[in-house]
Amino acid sequence: MRIIILGGGTVGSWIAETLCPNHDVTVIDTNPEVIQRLNDHLDVQAFVGSAIDSTLLFQAQTLTMDLCLAVTGDESKNVLAASMAKRMGCRRAVARIHSPVMFDKSTFDYETEFRIDRLISLEELTAIELAQEIRTPGSVVVEHVARGSIKVQSVTLSPKAKILGVSLKELKLPGSVRVGSITRVDEQTQEKTTRLARADDVLQAGDQILLIGDDEDVDAMLDKALKNKKKKEVVIAGGGNVAVYLATILESGPYDAILIERDLERSETLATQLPEVTVLHADATYRQTLLEEHVEKTDFFVACMGDDESNIMTSVEVDDIINSTDGVERDDKTIVCVVSRPDYAQVISRLGIDRAISPRTAMVEQVQTFLTTGAVISTNSLPDTDIGVYEIEVQPGSAAEEHVLVNLALPLGKCLIAAVSSQGEARVPRGDDHFKAGDYVVALIHADAVDDVVEKFSGSSR
Amino acid sequence: MKFADFMCESAICVDIKATDKVGVIQELVGSLVSAGQVKEEDRDSIVEAIMKREELGSTGIGRGVAVPHTKHSSVESLIGTVGVSAEGVEFDSLDGEPVQLLFLLVSHPDRPGDHLRALENISRQLRDDTFCRFLKQSKTAQDIAQLLEEADNNQFAS
Repeated sequence: MRIIILGGGTVGSWIAETLCPNHDVTVIDTNPEVIQRLNDHLDVQAFVGSAIDSTLLFQAQTLTMDLCLAVTGDESKNVLAASMAKRMGCRRAVARIHSPVMFDKSTFDYETEFRIDRLISLEELTAIELAQEIRTPGSVVVEHVARGSIKVQSVTLSPKAKILGVSLKELKLPGSVRVGSITRVDEQTQEKTTRLARADDVLQAGDQILLIGDDEDVDAMLDKALKNKKKKEVVIAGGGNVAVYLATILESGPYDAILIERDLERSETLATQLPEVTVLHADATYRQTLLEEHVEKTDFFVACMGDDESNIMTSVEVDDIINSTDGVERDDKTIVCVVSRPDYAQVISRLGIDRAISPRTAMVEQVQTFLTTGAVISTNSLPDTDIGVYEIEVQPGSAAEEHVLVNLALPLGKCLIAAVSSQGEARVPRGDDHFKAGDYVVALIHADAVDDVVEKFSGSSR
Repeated sequence: MKFADFMCESAICVDIKATDKVGVIQELVGSLVSAGQVKEEDRDSIVEAIMKREELGSTGIGRGVAVPHTKHSSVESLIGTVGVSAEGVEFDSLDGEPVQLLFLLVSHPDRPGDHLRALENISRQLRDDTFCRFLKQSKTAQDIAQLLEEADNNQFAS
């Protein structure tokens, strides 16, 4: 695959390093020293220049690239560059942004208007990874696809969930939601199996299911699935964008979040912005603060302050407080910590920290989902299965545009078209559904049927 | 978009005489004039426009290939031609190699979409080394026209 990375900073270089052994990588950066270093150490083509210089983009053959990753430190430049690359002919374009406002479509839809396949934020990706450790460790990490209109989330059913004991076809699911897959542990053999959900499946407590659909409907379902589940407490140290994204994600689950921010003005802003969250104005790096907040009683402690050292030291303090408190079982407490430096990650487990989340690893994992061909935009595999969650674009002239869904002859039992998004509106596709070019579908597909399914959505090559 | 949509066979030059960048561009625009695709009075202003674009950044995309291009209101639709220089011409390409194969494109300012699709198609086809090698070895305009037709029929890069 041919990939152009715009911006050779920490993130860009890390992505280049990860991808260059298997792909044809070109990097553009304004800093000659950065370019020199990349050319000296990696098997990439690196050029000095601006990410939005059309002549350089032309010369670097952006017109025929498979993927453009605009990851400079300047988000407006990234949006512009990704949009240019896409318009020039690059197959897929992704831009890195910082401002949460760019994800909000109520006033202006950046992705659609600039024709960018995906906007990604390092802070949001980090928060999604953190949330995953809290919600359902070991499940697929996807949050929003189809230009933000479809939410994909995995959830483990509580024994009091309101959706147990009836078959899926009898369940009155909210309008746009579908159960995509069911992961169940066999009571006798303890063997875990995952398969595509069928209409006659009956859900059981303990099942891990994948919900796919519109944001609000998925949240409503989560509520039913987790009904009466005892709320868990999450203490978040740090009040930056990562913390805000994390707190927002946790709002839809059975969590009580407490956020500790040391800047007074910022903590006041956060308190207004996150009404469901208890915001404390204090310094989490002080042991006294942690003791006062009784961190030994919390279920999850997340350190996501600005620097690695504070995050690690605070996590070690928390571990020490938990272990030095009498009568508290250590096992049911989880400490998660954001660590940017990859070399630190090696020693983390020795310090009593359960899991370190690295923003750049999160970014690289996300980038891997875009290494696709044809009509596929992104792909995530369900852990320990051969099933993937595919985000697919209905291309002009494709079979999917021509025929109704039931006549598409999709491989039986190997594929489930879970959701379709048309002009930003998500719905569950029906047999007589007729897709239009430019629609997005989210499909769960077995590995051996992928080519077959994707072909139905692919148009004639340009 | 296919080569047949904009390439002018009678303007193809298989033996470029010029030895510098501006000379090559003058020669290729000249052949579009001779082929009746460009009016004599527009010749200089098209050459100037292409050179102005080259000054911002070379269109030499490496591996001995360049795609000089511009938009000019004197042309009604997309027009293009191919030039081959056996000697090679210095073109400030990214890889520093002299250019032996040139695709020159002029399009109307009101058709930006067509312009981009034509550039994309040229770039895509030129990714194929065999296609480039055959073009560079061509001795007649007919040979080139035939290669372009084969490329249009997807016989080279996808």
